[in-house]
Amino acid sequence: MTYKKLSLLFIAVVMIAISGSVFGVAQNTHNSELDKINCLECHTCPTPNAQDMCLKACPSVLQPEMKAAHTLVEAPDTFLIDELTDLYQPVTFNHKLHADMAQMGGDCGTCHHFSPPGHIPPCSDCHGGEKNPSNLRQPSLKGAYHRQCLSCHREWSHETQCILCHLPTEGKPLSVGFDSTDILGISHPVVTVPDKLVYRTPYESGPVVTLHHNEHIDLFGLRCVDCHKQENCSYCHDMDKETKITKTDEEIHAVCNDCHLEERCDKCHDTVEKPAFSHASTGWALNRYHKGAECRACHPTGKKISKLNRRCSACHSGWNSDNFDHAVTGLRLDEIHIELDCEDCHTDLAYNKAPDCASCHDEGTNPKETPPGEYLRR
Amino acid sequence: MSLDRRKFLGITALSSATLLTGSTHAHEIESKTDEVYGVLVDTVVCIGCRKCEWACNQEHGLSDKDLKSYEDKSVFKEHRRPNASAYTVVNEYRDPADSSKAYSMKVQCMHCNEPACVSACIVGALEKNELGSVDYDAWKCIGCRYCIIACPFQVPAYEYENPLTPQIRKCTFCHERVAKGESPACVSICPNEALTFGPRSKLIDLAHSRFKANPGRYHEHVYGENEVGGTSWMYLTAVDTKHTELPVLSAAPLPPLTEIIQHGIFKSFVPPLALYALLGLIMHTIGDKNEEQEVKE
Repeated sequence: MTYKKLSLLFIAVVMIAISGSVFGVAQNTHNSELDKINCLECHTCPTPNAQDMCLKACPSVLQPEMKAAHTLVEAPDTFLIDELTDLYQPVTFNHKLHADMAQMGGDCGTCHHFSPPGHIPPCSDCHGGEKNPSNLRQPSLKGAYHRQCLSCHREWSHETQCILCHLPTEGKPLSVGFDSTDILGISHPVVTVPDKLVYRTPYESGPVVTLHHNEHIDLFGLRCVDCHKQENCSYCHDMDKETKITKTDEEIHAVCNDCHLEERCDKCHDTVEKPAFSHASTGWALNRYHKGAECRACHPTGKKISKLNRRCSACHSGWNSDNFDHAVTGLRLDEIHIELDCEDCHTDLAYNKAPDCASCHDEGTNPKETPPGEYLRR
Repeated sequence: MSLDRRKFLGITALSSATLLTGSTHAHEIESKTDEVYGVLVDTVVCIGCRKCEWACNQEHGLSDKDLKSYEDKSVFKEHRRPNASAYTVVNEYRDPADSSKAYSMKVQCMHCNEPACVSACIVGALEKNELGSVDYDAWKCIGCRYCIIACPFQVPAYEYENPLTPQIRKCTFCHERVAKGESPACVSICPNEALTFGPRSKLIDLAHSRFKANPGRYHEHVYGENEVGGTSWMYLTAVDTKHTELPVLSAAPLPPLTEIIQHGIFKSFVPPLALYALLGLIMHTIGDKNEEQEVKE
């Protein structure tokens, strides 16, 4: 009898000891090993007890990897990762962009490898600031973040530079040579920008729409995101083309209509391919000095390009006889004429025309016959 | 005569025992190796950010170049080696099957379990610490540079440009940090945790668990688990290590071979004495016989 009782007692003691070491909650049974453990590594509250164990939802022997479906609306579009800020500034993480990408593959579970139903725990719930010496398999928070980002970044863009995500703490932000708010600025393999795109549309009286893509960018100083607004990675990298969403007529036209307000259909639609824009069609063919200039240099408004005043002084308001090198026009003025003010010869300020010499030379001199200097080319 | 015979056997037994002590010495270290600390370098996870180089240079006051300058990846174009002013460098190796795949590999002292440099050092300036590091004591060093020749990984460097107080320079395993329970500077800065610091036996388990969890991603060999008797620093690679700068080495530790001969012969000066005793004994017995013969005559 007593032997049986003793063995039962022994089993009970062992059970209590095991449960104590598994949950680590029974404060009275804490042994010296448990005292070394920070309670907050496993519990969310500082004083866990048997009733409220407030255990963190972390992968464990009891709960292995778990991936429940979550909707994107639960997460913010962007957030700041600043828990570990040390050598660099905090990282602004575009969650929406990455979540869009993840939808092509393993959904939220691509990164959130442990996401129980109802709540996606932040990385820091399980991954501690310091490496856990008792579990070398689990990366610290720093390792967890970096591995999560870099495993894909390295594979997709072959870029692992720190400054792609971080800005250095000291001094001005590093100039990394791109605008990270635009598509081409995002760490990405080279994007081939099409020069010309020809669309065949069902519009009967003008089925052909020609988009001189690069010309549009140059003419209006556009950034990719100005037109490609709602495009995410899956737009190009969609692995399942079957399920690609088809756009409505309205959505297709919206891209153009943002700028081309109330324009006639034939502005874009034609029966044949439209030629690229030529400045000569405006009645003012570009001369050799203007040819190299960007459209924006003269038409600074960006989206809406309007006719400019053709007078040189409308743009080159600062030119006068002292700072204008007349030789660039092909005529180097002689000693007498170089002393004159511009308006003395170009009386009507029409600089694109040869001046009327008669305003000074009443005998009706023609500048071609008796030049006011040396003609550098004919 | 019978007494002499017993003496003779006793002396030979003693001398052979002392000759063997040279080899038992190696076994003493081996039994400790599971407790020592080590670092597992996972070159598959490494992104080649060179932060370890920066942290190492900061920790040991080797260079004051700013963090930004380590972003420069053009250094990978040439193969670099640790030197007197850089205890660790990051190099690149490529997959021979697919040259577009590049991996980064940090190189430094391997802190061997049975270091050839320690064995070669004639003044005991190099010592294997019980925590795992191979420590260098500049005060004992006489600058013979035998360690440089002995090291199978060609790690120790010498301050040739310092004519007055030249030292041997190599990775210290940040032994002062390790003694305080911290991880080495390079390990603590590694953003991707390509470097894992911990007890050596646990690191070997970790390495094998990575092979299991990522089939096909690794060349399933823990470099340093057995090479030259095991090293504190171990490597995981994506391709066979013969395609990397890690030398192909056998599992046999290097020191015992030379130590059995060198240390054994001179161990506590017993073998030489034993040899002379043996010679004396032979002379004595021969002398006895001669005497006996003389007496007979």
